[in-house]
Amino acid sequence: MRVTSVAGRVEQLRADFDRSFAEPARTLDGDSIELLAVGAGGRPYALRLSQASGVHPDRPVTALPTTVRALLGVAGFAGTVVPVYDLAALLGHTIGQRPRWLLLTAGTPPMALAFHELDRHLRVPLGDVVTASTDDDGQHGCLQGLVRLPDGDRPIIDVPAVRALVHQLAGHQPVPEEIR
Amino acid sequence: MAEGKDPLRYFRVEARELVDQISAGVLDLDQRPGPEPVAMLLRVAHTLKGAARVVKQKEIADHAHAFEEILVPHRGDDAGPLAAEEMRELLRLNDAIAACVTVMEKPAPAPDKKVEPAKAQEKAPEPRREEVVKPPTADLDELLDAIGETNTRMAPLRVGCSTVERLHRSAENLADQLRVGRGNAAATRAAAERLAAELGSAGRRFTDSVDQIERELEDVRARAEGLRLVPVSSVFTTLRRAVRDAADAEGKRVRFEARGTGIRMGAHLLGPVSGGFLHVVRNAVVHGIEPEQERVAAGKPAEGTITVEVERRGRFAMFRCIDDGRGFDLDALRRTAEDRGLLAAGSGPPDSESLLGLVLHGGISTAPAVTEVSGRGIGMDAVREVAVQLQGEVKVHSTPGLGATVELIFPLALLAMTGLNVEAGGTVATLPLDVVRACVRLSPEEAAAAAVSGRIVYDGSAAPFLPLAEALYTGSTVPDTPGIGAAVVVNTTGGTFAIGVDRLAGTSGLVARPLPELAPASAVVSSVSVDADGNPRLVLDPQGLADEVFRGHQAGARPAAATVAAPLPILVVDDSLTTRMLERSILESAGYEVDLAASGEEGLEKARARRYGLFLTDIDMPGIDGFTFVERTRADPKLAVVPAILVSSRASAADRDRGRDAGASAYVVKGEFDQELLLGHIRRLVVRS
Repeated sequence: MRVTSVAGRVEQLRADFDRSFAEPARTLDGDSIELLAVGAGGRPYALRLSQASGVHPDRPVTALPTTVRALLGVAGFAGTVVPVYDLAALLGHTIGQRPRWLLLTAGTPPMALAFHELDRHLRVPLGDVVTASTDDDGQHGCLQGLVRLPDGDRPIIDVPAVRALVHQLAGHQPVPEEIR
Repeated sequence: MAEGKDPLRYFRVEARELVDQISAGVLDLDQRPGPEPVAMLLRVAHTLKGAARVVKQKEIADHAHAFEEILVPHRGDDAGPLAAEEMRELLRLNDAIAACVTVMEKPAPAPDKKVEPAKAQEKAPEPRREEVVKPPTADLDELLDAIGETNTRMAPLRVGCSTVERLHRSAENLADQLRVGRGNAAATRAAAERLAAELGSAGRRFTDSVDQIERELEDVRARAEGLRLVPVSSVFTTLRRAVRDAADAEGKRVRFEARGTGIRMGAHLLGPVSGGFLHVVRNAVVHGIEPEQERVAAGKPAEGTITVEVERRGRFAMFRCIDDGRGFDLDALRRTAEDRGLLAAGSGPPDSESLLGLVLHGGISTAPAVTEVSGRGIGMDAVREVAVQLQGEVKVHSTPGLGATVELIFPLALLAMTGLNVEAGGTVATLPLDVVRACVRLSPEEAAAAAVSGRIVYDGSAAPFLPLAEALYTGSTVPDTPGIGAAVVVNTTGGTFAIGVDRLAGTSGLVARPLPELAPASAVVSSVSVDADGNPRLVLDPQGLADEVFRGHQAGARPAAATVAAPLPILVVDDSLTTRMLERSILESAGYEVDLAASGEEGLEKARARRYGLFLTDIDMPGIDGFTFVERTRADPKLAVVPAILVSSRASAADRDRGRDAGASAYVVKGEFDQELLLGHIRRLVVRS
């Protein structure tokens, strides 16, 4: 339909603008991928947005007495108590200062990963993602490919693999047997 | 059926409540005949009849009417008690009404399907056992009230919004005036001042309203959390009725007593427990309680008693059924066990404990022959299944001639409790108030003395003492805090001990929930609660604390009863033979298994080859030094879980800092080498299998 009047044109623009909010965010439209550029343990990484269900800054984490070093504690998310793991520690970096950001991962049981810097959100063409296996020393298979960016390459963290590592770490320490 | 047009919507709720009251009232009347229960039942039945007629539930109304008819002649002080036949009829009508209400509560499959009470009754061995345990309506009402209250607090905010809108316009006007330079300066200033004053008071009103809403919402949250829990008393009626029915069928007189009715727990727990205990109480009547003549001959009261007790012990719930009957037939059990070859040959005659254990722990309980002789096999099976389902445990005690006790203990997932909040090392944690015996204020000197000696004098004796921060910061450095200011004396079944805290932070009601999966924690933490800000707070486990405290006090010789896992071996890394041997002898005499490595390289190799509970390493070594050893092990997720202690002759603060940065859990200086201090660190840190 051809819009003739200025008022009609304005109306059309407004409707388009409003509708853009109602449409779901496109995570993967065939030839691009959405990533979060993050910093953990002083190094740059990228995370697939589709493997996360939320990012939260400065959420209080209640420390837990535990022998799992990467387990920082537990945090509350809408009434659910979620264990928080230090991403840097899981990737094998020495733990420096406390991380500021929490990433709620997709999947169950609930788990959050803490990291230090949230650099930016990226949508990159699929062609910029290199799936070749990265040097695996020290990362325990938690990295899968890398993304080529103007400011350098960033290894992509494979959240399911990180989750598998956490399961293994948590499983190593069986829940203390109940007395009696 | 459209939800809004459902004519039975409210009746269902009311009828369920009235039926519950009738069910309990009939059993009351049965046990304690008198005018009061009669009057109560008449009142309730009458209400039900009226309500049922309004919504055209003729069947329920008719049953309620018949119910009333039986009771009317027994109204008043001088009326006689009901005949046994009348009592039976009351129970029958009670079941019939309950069946109608249950059918009504289920979503109707077809509109023309009519309720057939006779049919409903036919499958009546367990008419309403499967029903969902629901929170009482009163609790829901309170929650709705609280929500309503919060809602009314929104009105001032609405008013405030229009005030802000108005003030916004005034500010714009004022800005316009200033821009065009119209009006005199004095008037403009006055207008600006007026605006500022109005903004100020609007702001105060907003603050007040928001504060109030926050408080109300907190109340709503607390009530809603409470709704997840239902009172235990809601299952007692079912158990009581089962006892009554079984006694009636057996021609025995049995009295039912309930204790601990006020306790609340998750509805999902009460369902299975009630199901399992139904068999237990029934069996107690049928097989435990003797016939009247036998009881009288044995010098017992003619009427048998079955008591169901509910108790909360820390984070465990305990259901106990006690009967004063004849106890288990141990001879029959022994014979059957022998026949089936379940007793180890040559082990001598089994004691009663091990025989009862056989009933519980499988093997013979499911066999029909044994079920017949022991008489309790099926009931035991049912309760054992419940125990498995709830990750609990069943215990049986029996005294021939005096009675038997069946006890079901299981951990509670959600648990309402009052907690004492304590602060230690910057962390607030909660201790269940019911284990707290006393709180004692400590002067800095007293606190220091208690920390050094590990004991505190309380009530004329020395109680073991542990600073809570030490238990809370297992595997990491305790942050600097003002220091211990109070001791909390705790009573557990394991004994009395005290924990040192920085300060007491009041008491609060809370709902404790289990720690999430993937969050393995030390046994001193039993669960978490969520505070008003939505942040998790640790709930301490008194039993876990007791183990921690007493373990520290009896190095090596832990109490036999404790099921604490054995520590994993310790790897000592030191290039000096003397030190290696010295440390090995200290550790071995404290009961640890020790491996040795003469260099950092060898240490790393060994660390990867075996699971260790702790690394104890020197700093100055040729090749990989201690700092590097600690850093490398911290960087490996598999080794990072193993705490590391640095032992060195370097005593400077810079070295300690470097050690901490590398990830060492403790730093011990060789010059001031203190065996006890080292063992203390190790006991605190070592990973157990």
